[in-house]
Amino acid sequence: MNGILWLELVVGIIVSFSLLGIFIWGARQGQFDDGKKMMNGLLNDSPEDLQDAVKKDEKVKMMKEKKAKEMEKEKSK
Amino acid sequence: MSIVKCSHCHLEFDEKVMIKEPQSPELNFCCNGCQGVYHLLKDDGLDSFYDKMGKNTISPPTAIGQDSSNFDMESFAQRYIKTTPDGFSKIDLIMEGIHCAACIWLNEKVLDETPGILEVSINFTNNKAKIIWDDETIQLSQIIDKIRSIGYNAYPYDRTQSDKKATANKKDYFMRMSIAIFASMNIMMIGVAKYTGFFMGMDEEMLRIVHMAEFIFATPVLFYSGWVFFRGAYYGLKNKMINMDFLVSAGATLTYIYSLYVLFGGAGHSYFDSVAMIITFVLVGKYLEVIGKKSAVDTMDKIKSQIPLEATIIVDGGKKVVPLDKIQVDDIIEVKNGEKASVDGVVISGDSSFDESSISGESLPVSKKIGDKIYSGTINTSAVIRYKAVKDYANSTLNNIVELLEDSLNSKPKIEDTTNELSKYFSVIILSIAFGTFMGWYFYDGDFENALIIAISVIVIACPCALALATPIASLIGVSWLAREGILFKEAKFIETFSKMDTIVLDKTGTVTTGNLSVISGKTSELSSENLNLLFSLADSSTHPVSIAVKKHLEQNHKYLKHIELESIEQLPSSGIKAKYNDVAIFGGRVNDDTKHKSTIYQFCINNTLLTTFELEDTIRDDAKQTISYLQNEGIEVIMCSGDNKHIVSKVAQEVGIKQYKSKMSPIDKANFINELRKDKKTVVMAGDGINDSLALSRADVSIAMGNGADIAIAVSDIVILNDKLNGIKKSIYISKRTFKFIKQNLAISLVYNAVTIPIAMAGYVIPLVAALSMSLSSLLVVGNSTRIKNNKLGK
Repeated sequence: MNGILWLELVVGIIVSFSLLGIFIWGARQGQFDDGKKMMNGLLNDSPEDLQDAVKKDEKVKMMKEKKAKEMEKEKSK
Repeated sequence: MSIVKCSHCHLEFDEKVMIKEPQSPELNFCCNGCQGVYHLLKDDGLDSFYDKMGKNTISPPTAIGQDSSNFDMESFAQRYIKTTPDGFSKIDLIMEGIHCAACIWLNEKVLDETPGILEVSINFTNNKAKIIWDDETIQLSQIIDKIRSIGYNAYPYDRTQSDKKATANKKDYFMRMSIAIFASMNIMMIGVAKYTGFFMGMDEEMLRIVHMAEFIFATPVLFYSGWVFFRGAYYGLKNKMINMDFLVSAGATLTYIYSLYVLFGGAGHSYFDSVAMIITFVLVGKYLEVIGKKSAVDTMDKIKSQIPLEATIIVDGGKKVVPLDKIQVDDIIEVKNGEKASVDGVVISGDSSFDESSISGESLPVSKKIGDKIYSGTINTSAVIRYKAVKDYANSTLNNIVELLEDSLNSKPKIEDTTNELSKYFSVIILSIAFGTFMGWYFYDGDFENALIIAISVIVIACPCALALATPIASLIGVSWLAREGILFKEAKFIETFSKMDTIVLDKTGTVTTGNLSVISGKTSELSSENLNLLFSLADSSTHPVSIAVKKHLEQNHKYLKHIELESIEQLPSSGIKAKYNDVAIFGGRVNDDTKHKSTIYQFCINNTLLTTFELEDTIRDDAKQTISYLQNEGIEVIMCSGDNKHIVSKVAQEVGIKQYKSKMSPIDKANFINELRKDKKTVVMAGDGINDSLALSRADVSIAMGNGADIAIAVSDIVILNDKLNGIKKSIYISKRTFKFIKQNLAISLVYNAVTIPIAMAGYVIPLVAALSMSLSSLLVVGNSTRIKNNKLGK
């Protein structure tokens, strides 16, 4: 009986600390810096907003690649 | 008269003044700006903005069409634009006009879809934005134009070291507090099992598992979340001071050590739950303080973003744009309509009127002619003028106010917090008693372990849970009650100071009066219906507060007014407005040679013949007299301050029953006056609404802003009366006094509890079960007592 309880304790602690770890990762990324925006995102974000976020990421990646190439060109000159 | 909502801003207006678009459903707009933005969003497929906006309202757009070329100037770029390691440009902006989440969504969406913009991030809490863009694809002025085209505006701000430090500090505390709350919640759940075990029975091994789980959760709380207290205690000791941090860390560490002893060897009851609770409770309080400091920094950034960036000076007959710090005394400065004066000076050519509300609080523009003084920060509201600088920027009025405000916000008067003071002495006494108990038992029976356990049990039973709860629980109930009455206390600690105040300083315009002009006399019965319509159309052509008041008066007294298209409408600086209709000259305003009227007047002339004269006055609030008489009956000294002249101030004071008043006060005079009162050991509350009151508000022990006041006044205030009613002050006093009475009762309960239980613990008679029960009982007593606060007429 007590052996099972010890096991439950270990599993419970691993699960809860894993969740805490995810929270800490989010907080370090700045996801909770703006409390009001975060709460609104939770309540109102739609699939359309998620699609926009993906498009935005692609645009950022493209712009950064383009800029890096331009900077390389300038350096080689 | 029917009221309709503007289809863009959702503000409500009289149907007659709306711009209508007959379609299904019918569209109504309050101004051309709203109409333009509505169609722009519709055409770009962004009309889901209105679904996201819900019931919120926004301000009608005002910045559309403003010149944004100064954002591309070299001096601007050097000061505000930074380059990222990837080679992009970056700027920090403060957004104007953000009201709800939909506003953030719209701005981010529009800018994200603009080619050349890499990243846009707008903070909803403080309205600060970060924009990263590629300046080879798009110019900053185009980005600003884009923001303005959808009805918002943006100002640059210098991201200071203090802002970076405050942001990092807030993030650090947020992380520590989150971990503390997470662990405490888990410990509370485990605690349910533990305390149930006391009654139902629990074997040794199972108790050890429960203690082990508590130990795992309490350890990060003490050493990570509680690290700030160890650090504070270390610096306190370095300066030879026993501070609150020392007592929190010492109490928590001793309890932790005792609990470790129980877990790994000894028998008995562990107190890991107390360790986590003490740290979490105090840390939440500290986090609120950190947020307060961060919002002070945000307020200063908002104020600084309003300072003009450059000024146009006249050199050798030509114009030159120079940064503010390059302006020298005797330089000739040109100020166009809508621009802000950058430094103090004297008019040398031109005739105009200036909005001096940031200095005097008065909403009426003041006329300026040759020889008159110009104050920095005031806005030119009509024609171009030139003036000679008499001070450089560093010594000008605006910079003085900004610097003083910065000092005040950084050193807000320290409020005597009874509970903090009490718990400081309380903890010193408890630590001394515990040490005495240890020594006594050790010398009495020579058993070190027994002496240590009894000493620690003294500390544990005296765990200031009830003391820690005494103030927050009562304050929470008081503050939520106040919020329901439309009064927002930014921090609960102001309840105590507010209930102890003996002097209140009231600003006149916008606080005792409504700040809006209304017609008190003027005949329209002798006017023909055509002349009446001409007068209405003329008053409707101006946004000057006097014209607005006359228009409102006409609308209230006449049913069938018709709008007539006037020609050649021209604003006359400092006198009024003129126009033509079928070769008839119409004039509305003040005829120059009229000196018999002391108050504000509006005269209506046709072909130079005076037809009627309106007399206007600022309206006193309905509840002003009643509130002031209540304050006086409570023994509070009421003083009224104003930037207005003595004649007007004394008249208002007499009408509302105020015996003491001060007139012609500048923002700095008001702040100095508050300082003098505080030097006389008075507890001063200041109530105001304007930018000109901000400095005085920041100097008072507690400051109140009216809900319709300027953003800056609201930002620096401790209390905001959201419904803009003066009797909010009366309600605040009543509720604060009642709440403070209960705080004192709670403190008494917790002290009596300790006075009874500590001697028992010192005698070594406390078993863990009794300690746990008595701790809970004392907390319950305090919570139960606090719920009685609302048991009265006003509360029900």
